[in-house]
Amino acid sequence: MWRFLGETMAVFAKDMRCEFRTRVAFNSLALFAVTTLAAVSYTIGPYGIAEADRPYLLGALLWIVVFFAAMAGLDRSFVKEEETHTAPLLRLAARPLVVWGGKLLFNTVTLALLMAILVPLYVVLMGLSVRTPGWFILVLAAGCLALAVTTTIVAAIVARAMSRGALFAVLSVPLLLPLLVFLIQGTRAAIEGRVPDVLAALRAVVSLGGVMTVASAFLFPVVWHD
Amino acid sequence: MTRRDILLGALFLWMAAVIWAAFLWAPAAAGFLGQSSRIVFFHVPTAWVATLSFLVSFIASVQYLRTRDPRWDVRAHASASLGIVFTILATVTGSIFARIMWGSYWNWDPRETSITFLLLIYAAYFALRGAVPDPERKAALAAVYAILAFVTVPFLVFVVPRIYWSLHPDTIINTKGRITMDSRMFRVFMASLAGFTGLAAWLYDLECRIEALRRKAEEEIL
Repeated sequence: MWRFLGETMAVFAKDMRCEFRTRVAFNSLALFAVTTLAAVSYTIGPYGIAEADRPYLLGALLWIVVFFAAMAGLDRSFVKEEETHTAPLLRLAARPLVVWGGKLLFNTVTLALLMAILVPLYVVLMGLSVRTPGWFILVLAAGCLALAVTTTIVAAIVARAMSRGALFAVLSVPLLLPLLVFLIQGTRAAIEGRVPDVLAALRAVVSLGGVMTVASAFLFPVVWHD
Repeated sequence: MTRRDILLGALFLWMAAVIWAAFLWAPAAAGFLGQSSRIVFFHVPTAWVATLSFLVSFIASVQYLRTRDPRWDVRAHASASLGIVFTILATVTGSIFARIMWGSYWNWDPRETSITFLLLIYAAYFALRGAVPDPERKAALAAVYAILAFVTVPFLVFVVPRIYWSLHPDTIINTKGRITMDSRMFRVFMASLAGFTGLAAWLYDLECRIEALRRKAEEEIL
């Protein structure tokens, strides 16, 4: 177990080091998110939505911004390995599950960093007030993990195919849509302070994310070695 | 005359009888506008066959990854193709019912939403197949995606429509576990379910044979 964790952390550290050399994934994600947020804030702003519609629409808009930003850069972890021809060496140096764990951790941290910048900005620019901030953060955290799990396995698939950029969105969108529906409902409930509804949405997110994690862990060796 | 021809003839007669019974023998259900309830004899079986096809595609994908036998990939591909066709049919029949009962073809009811997601998932499966030139890698990656896609199916078919309020009539076996259909309607419905399953089995067999021939022809060209 400790050996697995150590090797996973080594893959994660390698990815972070490589990322900080060029910052392609971070920059893509952050710029995409900030640009979209600026467009949304400029056109809608804090007073552009009727009071009754605010929780639902602001929750939906937040996840749309996060989702499209994720589409802009979360495939880099695997695509970069194939483009720079370092994937064969990684296949020799590390076990598949370790690579999957390292890449998943990298995507989770990337997405968490993005949300740490984006969400406070969103709250300020859109004038969002949340009745249950603790539950709101919990929904965001669960969403971050579930998004990272799904995009990691899809990125691994896409890296082995042609026309990767377009394919990443094509393959991710349908798998992530049910998750986004639950997340938007959960975020709305957290904004309105309806804790039982937050819990129902969280249960759905955690179960879908959990099933995806187990399926990804089992299937990743096939994607990685074929 | 082969066994296959006899079965096909029987299926043809069975489906003809189902169509006749659906329009002329079974009564229209109470609580629905005009004759609109009769669509249940076609809408639910197409949705059932679509789900069944995706289940077959999932099993064939698992089997492909276990055995690496290309015939399982042919089966997975054939059943996913059928699944997408029957999902479109279920969507169209559902839309016609929605227009009559609710006044518009589409209003993002939870069941309409979940079937749209299902369509997108399997359209993505075919996009992936088209993006991988190597046949073995294509089969393996498509199998992985089909398994991942199937993981979301229970959430789309069972969780989403039950969590959110829906205009959709109760399913045949509702949340109380009771069947509330008239007995004559129920008999026609079950016959239609069996007929559509037979139709799907015939189409599946046909699609598998065509796909196998297509691959053989491709190998000969190469």
